[in-house]
Amino acid sequence: MSLNLAMDVLFALGLLWLGWQVAAGRTLFRSIVMFVVLGLLMAVVWSRLGSPDLGLAEAAVGAGVTGAMLLLTHRRLLQIVPAYRGRPLKLRSMLAAPVGLLSGLMVLGLGWVMLDIPAPASTAGDAALAELQGHDVGNPVTGVLLLFRGFDTLLEMAVLMAAWLGVKMVQPVSMPDVAEAPAPAPILNVLLSAIVPSVVLVSGYLLHAGGSAPGGAFQAGAVLAAGGVLLALSGRLAPMYTPGLLQRLALVAGMGVFAALGLHAVPGGGAAMALPGTWAVYAIEAALTVSIAMTLLLLFMGSGGARRRLP
Amino acid sequence: MNASDFVHVLAAAALFGFGVYGVLIAGHVMRKLLALNLMGSGVFLLLVAIGRRGDGALDPVPQAMVLTGIVVAVSATAFALSLLLALYRKTGSAELDDDGGEDGL
Repeated sequence: MSLNLAMDVLFALGLLWLGWQVAAGRTLFRSIVMFVVLGLLMAVVWSRLGSPDLGLAEAAVGAGVTGAMLLLTHRRLLQIVPAYRGRPLKLRSMLAAPVGLLSGLMVLGLGWVMLDIPAPASTAGDAALAELQGHDVGNPVTGVLLLFRGFDTLLEMAVLMAAWLGVKMVQPVSMPDVAEAPAPAPILNVLLSAIVPSVVLVSGYLLHAGGSAPGGAFQAGAVLAAGGVLLALSGRLAPMYTPGLLQRLALVAGMGVFAALGLHAVPGGGAAMALPGTWAVYAIEAALTVSIAMTLLLLFMGSGGARRRLP
Repeated sequence: MNASDFVHVLAAAALFGFGVYGVLIAGHVMRKLLALNLMGSGVFLLLVAIGRRGDGALDPVPQAMVLTGIVVAVSATAFALSLLLALYRKTGSAELDDDGGEDGL
């Protein structure tokens, strides 16, 4: 067994153990922490599979933003009923054994079927790679996202928007009391003034690099949102029921720019989603970054809008 | 299919299976959500692992789909967490069924 394969097996076993802890861990808090660790391990596995784009996205979105959301919700649940802290989850449902058995059988069946899928003679990926030869977009994943699967990416922004609308709708019930004054912490100001600008810098780099190297709007947007999450957790941003004008613009920027540039050729009889050039790819990516960051931040805060709060 | 892809495909199947078990058995809605995300991770892993087969050239299409999937998963999770908070505030319970309410946090 080569070292590479041994590492793959080791990571796979790690994924399985963490997955089991998530599905059947003793306490909910433990499950959440294991889920975050699972996300980080997934990021490593993506990199090993040769996909640093996915590794970046998983680390920032899957482990980072989702993990922060889960932990914050867990804390809010405890605030509502403090007696539940650390109480073990009882999983001894009468159905646990039969469901576990059937799930195990399903895993075997799935594995058997999935290993049996024949390798196709030619794939859409080959066609995409061949088509991208003449383009300036050097990162094939960015190319596929914007040039070949533009509708997917556009509608993904619609999904983000729909999720935000849903969060905004239930906000009066889920978060009736939004004011939560932060404790004064001098060291926090120093840390924030160092971390937040570098977060913006990293996000800008990821956006710029996305044209030719691993990175892109999703990773950049997620990192930018993480900066916002930091500000929200430290009390610099307070939730509001409705977003201000600037926030509304940020929320729709991605969809708006993408739709406008995607439809620009239609009046002249051109194809929808045919972009006018490489500059359009960068323009859309930049707008998507702003929208993804804004939406993820508001989703994290569980609110329709946000406002600045001075310490 | 080489041995490394074999390992990843089986891991994907197992993650999906754990997810199904968790969704069906967990009492607490938040754990059901975690398990749903686990199922998603399994599917993502399968897509990329299968896309890697053949001559070794990386297939960008499954990667782009998984990238989209990761963002959709996080937005759906955020909405679900909001609904969970609303449910909890309304009923004081984070479970969907009412057979005893054994689960806490």
